[in-house]
Amino acid sequence: MGQMGFFTDTTLCIGCKACEVACKQWNQLPSDGYTFTGYSYDNTVALSATTWRHVAFIEHSRPADGTGKSVNWLMMSDVCKHCTHPGCMEACPTGAIIRNEFGDVYVQPDICNGCGYCVPSCPFGVVGRNRDTGLAAKCTLCYDRQKDGIEPACAKACPTDSIVFGDLDELKERARKRVNTLHERGETAAYLYGVDEDTTVGDLNAFFLLMDRPSVYNLPENPKLPQNNLVPGFVASLIAASFLTLTTAFSLWRRGK
Amino acid sequence: MSNTYGNRPERLGGTATVVRPDATAGRGEERPGEASTYYGMPLIKKATWSWEIMLYFFLGGLAGGSFLVSTLADLRGSVKDAALVRAGRFIALICMIISPILLIKDLGRPGRFHHMFRILKLRSAMSLGTWAITVFGICCGLTTAHQLAKDGLLNRFPPLARFMKAFPVKVIEVIGSVFGLVVASYTGVLLSATAVPVWARARHILGPLFLSSGLSTALASLSLLLSLGRSKQDTLERLDSAEIITMATELGLISTLPRVLGPLAKPLFKGRVGVLFMAGTMGSGLLVPLFTRLGWKLTRKPMPRALNIVASLMVLVGGILLRYTWIVAGRGSADDPQATHYYNALERKRGS
Repeated sequence: MGQMGFFTDTTLCIGCKACEVACKQWNQLPSDGYTFTGYSYDNTVALSATTWRHVAFIEHSRPADGTGKSVNWLMMSDVCKHCTHPGCMEACPTGAIIRNEFGDVYVQPDICNGCGYCVPSCPFGVVGRNRDTGLAAKCTLCYDRQKDGIEPACAKACPTDSIVFGDLDELKERARKRVNTLHERGETAAYLYGVDEDTTVGDLNAFFLLMDRPSVYNLPENPKLPQNNLVPGFVASLIAASFLTLTTAFSLWRRGK
Repeated sequence: MSNTYGNRPERLGGTATVVRPDATAGRGEERPGEASTYYGMPLIKKATWSWEIMLYFFLGGLAGGSFLVSTLADLRGSVKDAALVRAGRFIALICMIISPILLIKDLGRPGRFHHMFRILKLRSAMSLGTWAITVFGICCGLTTAHQLAKDGLLNRFPPLARFMKAFPVKVIEVIGSVFGLVVASYTGVLLSATAVPVWARARHILGPLFLSSGLSTALASLSLLLSLGRSKQDTLERLDSAEIITMATELGLISTLPRVLGPLAKPLFKGRVGVLFMAGTMGSGLLVPLFTRLGWKLTRKPMPRALNIVASLMVLVGGILLRYTWIVAGRGSADDPQATHYYNALERKRGS
């Protein structure tokens, strides 16, 4: 079986948040409380241990370019990226975070002991630790639904098929064709985020079609796999340890008066 | 008007770029340093760690340093260092008894702490550290049991006392010292192996810095303890030398931070955290004790006991503040989306 993933085409998103609702309902996630943030229509703000789909809204004014349009309204349904090289999975000391048979990154809730190391290790700021259960949690790509042969709740609920679920290679082909179509229509800002990447995180099983810089959507522009810092850190520590052992031995072992 | 990173300030609806119909710069790679933010919201998530982890970082370093000093003193076999060896072993063991309690308490599910032992993952600093603490803790236990047997404190259990006295303790000491040095330094590497910009950028410095702090606080503790007893002046003077060199190393490492971190250093050097780090760790934790000890060494007179105690306590407080300020600075750094963009762009340019 090939790897399964998401293609989120933000040009089709209408900002209805059906994906947020479906995800909350299917996974029985609690409410995060009522806040009016004033950030356009986004009152969810970020992914967390109890929010596994988050729709971002960005409004910004267009220059007077004769099209008569005054505002660009970008909407994007954010989700765990299910990276090829996930920072969370490499950080996990209990082996709770695994890549399942569908190729998706999954936190096993019966193994996680809530150390919280995965939380600062995600370059996209996805996984969080649930204050009530003490466990790390994030999008499972509806592992339970996939095992029964049906698509994830958010993909099912999306009325415009902005979120499409399927075999990763097929999705990427579909996405590339969509980008070409948009370019032919004059929408040359369109590009794929998470496909054919040369970052240390690799390609994303949940990838996106975006219309502006990644940072506009609160995505990192050049995500880096944090665990690549391990070897430099330990080498530096080894040098320091050798030096300090020698100097301390020298201080302690020299003859007294 | 731009901020520290050269980015434009927020405008209506977030700091989005103006999209022109003919824009081909979708990825924005041609404009490094000009990344936008999403309403200034954090891009990554900060660590959930609190006082338990700060205290553990301090105690782990102290244990590793203490065990190393005790081992070095024991390997040379001088009789006059017996008190130093004994004190070092006890300090290390007590710290290694308290440390797992703190770590387990910090877990979201403390009852599942043993899940850490399901695997050894070489790419996880926390997995490496878990096993290092375990091996080091066992070595601490064995050496201290040998010490107790030698001191006649295990005479109630003759077979155990005989066994521990005959134990090849020097082998355990050397193995334990290696793992102790790992325990003292891996916590810094653990912080660097995350996405938090101020921690990740300092990846060559944090491990060595926490290690040297562990050693300097250990030397200060031993100096403090031994000066309370009937210890030989000679031992104290040799501890002094070691402490001076270690503190100088620590200060040297800290001095590289402004250049290495650049604008990422803001959460460490500004505000309340900045005051604690500069005045508490650098100033009263290192500079003052270093020059005090150096000054007294040059007079060739023994340091008064009271002054030794005060100087040692200043180093210990400085060590605690070092761990505190770095963890709090990590929170501020994680909350700053522009720091993430700056760090990623910097790493990209360096070819990571």
